Amino acid sequence: MTVTDEELVARSIAGDTESFNQLILRWERPIYALAYRQIGREEDARDIVQDAFLRAFRALPGFKGEAKFSSWLYRITLNLCRDFMRRARRAPFAPTPEGVDVENVASAQTSAAESIEDVVTRQDLSRHVARAMGTLPEEQRSAILLKEYHGLTFQEIAELQGCPLSTVKTRLYQGLTMLRRELDRRGTGPARAGGSRTP
Amino acid sequence: MNDPRYCGNPDILMSYLYEDGDEPERHAFEAHLQSCERCATDAAGLRAVRDDLAAWTPPETVLDFRVVRNPAPAPSRWAWLTLPPMPAWAQLAAASLVVGVAVGLSGLEIQYDRQGLVVRTGWSKPAAARTADASAAAKPADADAPWRADLVAAQEQLRNEWRQTLPVSTTTGQGEVSPIGGGKAMSDGEYMARVRQLIEASETRQERELALRLTQVVRDMENQRRADMTRVANGLGVLEGRTGAAVAQQREMMNYLVRVSQKQQ
Repeated sequence: MTVTDEELVARSIAGDTESFNQLILRWERPIYALAYRQIGREEDARDIVQDAFLRAFRALPGFKGEAKFSSWLYRITLNLCRDFMRRARRAPFAPTPEGVDVENVASAQTSAAESIEDVVTRQDLSRHVARAMGTLPEEQRSAILLKEYHGLTFQEIAELQGCPLSTVKTRLYQGLTMLRRELDRRGTGPARAGGSRTP
Repeated sequence: MNDPRYCGNPDILMSYLYEDGDEPERHAFEAHLQSCERCATDAAGLRAVRDDLAAWTPPETVLDFRVVRNPAPAPSRWAWLTLPPMPAWAQLAAASLVVGVAVGLSGLEIQYDRQGLVVRTGWSKPAAARTADASAAAKPADADAPWRADLVAAQEQLRNEWRQTLPVSTTTGQGEVSPIGGGKAMSDGEYMARVRQLIEASETRQERELALRLTQVVRDMENQRRADMTRVANGLGVLEGRTGAAVAQQREMMNYLVRVSQKQQ
């Protein structure tokens, strides 16, 4: 039977370091993905993940369990990302190089059924999406990330961002609309290039 | 059909897009989409953006974070010996005192003449006398050392072992080849055959390696070609889309102008 986050948190607070390590194992990938999509640099994202777990471990005795452990962790990560970007005064995303690396393409083939053409198209689209996301204001970007990639509810995002639920929906709407405009401007993707998509 | 409840309402559109909220409300909005082209286009466009977002994946990386709790260091038995931190002037005074005592004990002698600067402690003698004494004293001590016999035996043993394991051979006067450390002798013919065998094995290995590399290069080139072709095709598709959109826009404008001019006539 899988041990819940709450149980692992309780054990960690009681001094069981191994339970906290299980929490790390469970959440390090999503936290890394969030940090990477926020700041766009692999090395920095790894540092932020490490820092986030360290902070969470130190602050664990003060964690009252009012929110979910994952939401708490997301909040810590987003704060760290914000601090990082302010400190470094950097743009949110460092664009990846334009060229195609054959070795990367070969290793990026997720299955044998996926052709080189599919991989290249997917990578191009990924790069365009990353760039377009980099143009969004931070609140809109965070809202989209938490909703799209981490499946948080509107209510959870509202609590995390400290704003009303309707504001979250507005941020999402505005963010997606800006993305749509930006991606259309770049003419990204074969479906886009050919015209509009069916819903 | 324009409906102020739904048109331009991000709350309802987002709830519909993310399948959140009341089901009857979502059904009602879906029915509205059938009749409102603007909302339908908006919803379809945002759905397409969501599809595109799925393509964005972070690069694979190794994450192996662990929290390790180090036990607190046990207090040392000699902790009472540790001095409390001293001010800098006291440390300087103590250091000067130590240096002064050391200089006094060693009987330091500093000499500067034509030969240059000479620094000597009271225990040391001039260099020439010291080397003469040292060479005279070292010889008999070294010769009488009790470990000398063991050292010679070990050297001999090492030499023997080295001879036995050495693979290099020498040629004798009768056209035969004999290994240095003894063993079975080898004729010239056998020796040449062995060399040829080694060369053939090496050539086979190199050919195999070359074939492997060539296959790899061909595969990489093919991948690169296909990747480039895909990028070119995508780029052309984008251009076609843009051109098509521009043509459609122009046609629409022309139709509008024609309609307007016909009305005026």
